[in-house]
Amino acid sequence: MMKALREAAAKLLQEKRAVLVIGYADRKGRPAVFVSKPEDCGRLVYDSSCRQNLAAYLGKPELRARLPVAVVAPPAVLRSLVVLTAESQIPAGQVLALAVDHDAFLGVFDAAGAAELLRSKFPDLGPEKALLERVAELSKKSAAERAAFWAEEFAKCTRCYACRAACPGCYCSRCIVEKNAPQWVSTAALGHGNYTWNVMRAFHQSGRCTLCGACEAACPQGLPLMVLNAVLDREALAEFDARPGYDPEGKPVIGSWSAEDDHSYMR
Amino acid sequence: MKTETSAVPAATAFEPRITAFVCNWCTYAGADLAGTSRLQYAPNMRIIKLPCTGRIDPLFVLKAFEDGADAVLVSGCHPGDCHYTSGNYHARRRWTLFRKLLALTGIGDDRLFFSWVSAAEGQKFADLVNDVTAKVRQAGPFRAANPGRRA
Amino acid sequence: MKTIAIDRLPDLAQALSKAGYRVVAPVDEGGVVRLREWTKGLALALDAVPVNSVKDVLFPRSEVVARFALEESGGFTPAPLERSAPKTVVLCARPCDAAALSALDAVFNWDYRDGSYNARRAATTVVSLACFKADEHCFCTSVNGAPDGTAGADALLRPADGGKKLVFEALSDKGRQLEAMVSDGQAVPDAPAALKRRFDSAAVGRWLASNFESPFWKEAALACLGCGACAYACPVCHCFDLQDESDKKECRRLRNWDSCGFGLFTLHASGHNPRPDQSARWRQRVTHKFSIYPQKFKTFACTGCGRCARLCQAGMAIAETCERIEALGR
Repeated sequence: MMKALREAAAKLLQEKRAVLVIGYADRKGRPAVFVSKPEDCGRLVYDSSCRQNLAAYLGKPELRARLPVAVVAPPAVLRSLVVLTAESQIPAGQVLALAVDHDAFLGVFDAAGAAELLRSKFPDLGPEKALLERVAELSKKSAAERAAFWAEEFAKCTRCYACRAACPGCYCSRCIVEKNAPQWVSTAALGHGNYTWNVMRAFHQSGRCTLCGACEAACPQGLPLMVLNAVLDREALAEFDARPGYDPEGKPVIGSWSAEDDHSYMR
Repeated sequence: MKTETSAVPAATAFEPRITAFVCNWCTYAGADLAGTSRLQYAPNMRIIKLPCTGRIDPLFVLKAFEDGADAVLVSGCHPGDCHYTSGNYHARRRWTLFRKLLALTGIGDDRLFFSWVSAAEGQKFADLVNDVTAKVRQAGPFRAANPGRRA
Repeated sequence: MKTIAIDRLPDLAQALSKAGYRVVAPVDEGGVVRLREWTKGLALALDAVPVNSVKDVLFPRSEVVARFALEESGGFTPAPLERSAPKTVVLCARPCDAAALSALDAVFNWDYRDGSYNARRAATTVVSLACFKADEHCFCTSVNGAPDGTAGADALLRPADGGKKLVFEALSDKGRQLEAMVSDGQAVPDAPAALKRRFDSAAVGRWLASNFESPFWKEAALACLGCGACAYACPVCHCFDLQDESDKKECRRLRNWDSCGFGLFTLHASGHNPRPDQSARWRQRVTHKFSIYPQKFKTFACTGCGRCARLCQAGMAIAETCERIEALGR
């Protein structure tokens, strides 16, 4: 599989269909690697220990200046590329996916092709069983127990924003926490600010999160961020049939509405 | 049909502090109507007027809880009646998801309330305020169990 | 000599607790090793470098540094500030964390003597545990440190008798005050972890001082996503942001951690940013730690604990950057 991946990447660079390939390095932890020469494509690997969502790099101005770019993309990253396309964050034709899965190189795709690949080979991607179990565990607790659980978890948050940096969906040039006129979210790594930050971060991903897990993997404190993301993901699917990453022209869930949306909880 | 709503019960130890985010054209007007109709309703709600529920960022709700609100009410125009055509539809989507997220973190239906109140529904507004206030009074102060409150 | 069996460490912690010390020690919290206030029953986790450092004890993430009572008339009066500096023992600190305190002592007593830091420093006794193993991210020996280094510590616990015992060595008056809690005994100290030097930090410092415009920096930080994980985990990083928060009754001025990795760190009110991209910010981070800080304070602003590399989601490793710089310099 690696051979096929590396050859395809080298070919893209040779043919100048990409000037840069963003992939995973053959080192412990599988950090991101940036390859611009065909002969360096031997550095590219992919396996299940790759946890970064490489689509996050598309938000970096330094990399936007080096388009077109090819990104090694397992299914969750493919979804992110499609979401970014749907949200007009990627100039058309400037990003290609080197699609991979556990043991196969699946080919080179543009956003439309990636969406079709996902629909045919990876339909209905959702939270893994273990994650759903974590959500179920938490849902069994009382409101007060849940509040205490999150208070304890959020107390560990240092507001390093590794979660935000890891997420391709967090691409605001000025994040809400960085607005100080007025200061909407306390920047102190204390209870109330931590609660607001973590809840709003998750909420801003509603209907957009591709469940790549990069945020939770990046968190130095081990916060269970995926639990927040999974709950919103399932709710957005159930209520609004939200399937982020399956349609490069998909309308954003929060930015659109239907007259039939539920409001049974409104008095 | 009720023409008068019950006044606030006398001398209780805990008086809830409830923040309400309402839209200008429907709910706020409905509240005005309750007032001009001399309907009595609990004074525990502090009303914050916005042009439309579509303007209400979920962050406002969190700030209210940060500042110590025992409960929050969000209220606007009935679907189809929005002064800005679709603001309340956008809002509705947000709230459906937001309330699930908040419930996961321990802020549930006993603390976060949503309603549609039109400009003609002065009685509904008064009843709503009394009902919500009574429920929150029963639920008690949110201080200790509020995960988002400022220490 | 003073010795203690390694499985009796919780007893020492308990004795310290009874003697009125707040005990801070590394504890496993669901797979994450964290330095935190120890209470009876918590198992000590000595095998991994904690995700946080002793810096947290002396320089907390967020601290009120001024308080003003707001009057209805519109005036305000400064309100008294209770400084919290409880008598504390950090038990089983990493030697790299203790060495970092020496570096922090310098900056917090430079042009301004930081009352809060100094109060906590004075009230804290640091008992280091010499490292019996190192992982691939550790590099203390490249920055004038050692797995059994004593800089910044008040006492050192040295593994002995094949790791079954610890020898307690007091290094300062504060450390000597704890001697009575450790019994007399005999043990043969083990060799500390062997950690090969990875780079010549003096050579790196020299290169940094004269290669500000080097094209090396352009590619060096491509992977960096500009979060604050490394700066916050680092036992020496100490940049902070002052924020005022107020309600109707009071305004509080908070000192919160900040990171030079953030895009907005050097953003001017005019909109100009002298460190406009991540390569400029990474350059600053490395240069500060290995060139600027040593010029000012005669010590690196890095003790080789490896947390930054261990925790970085994108694999940025300052030791690797230094190795590459040393190679460039040759």
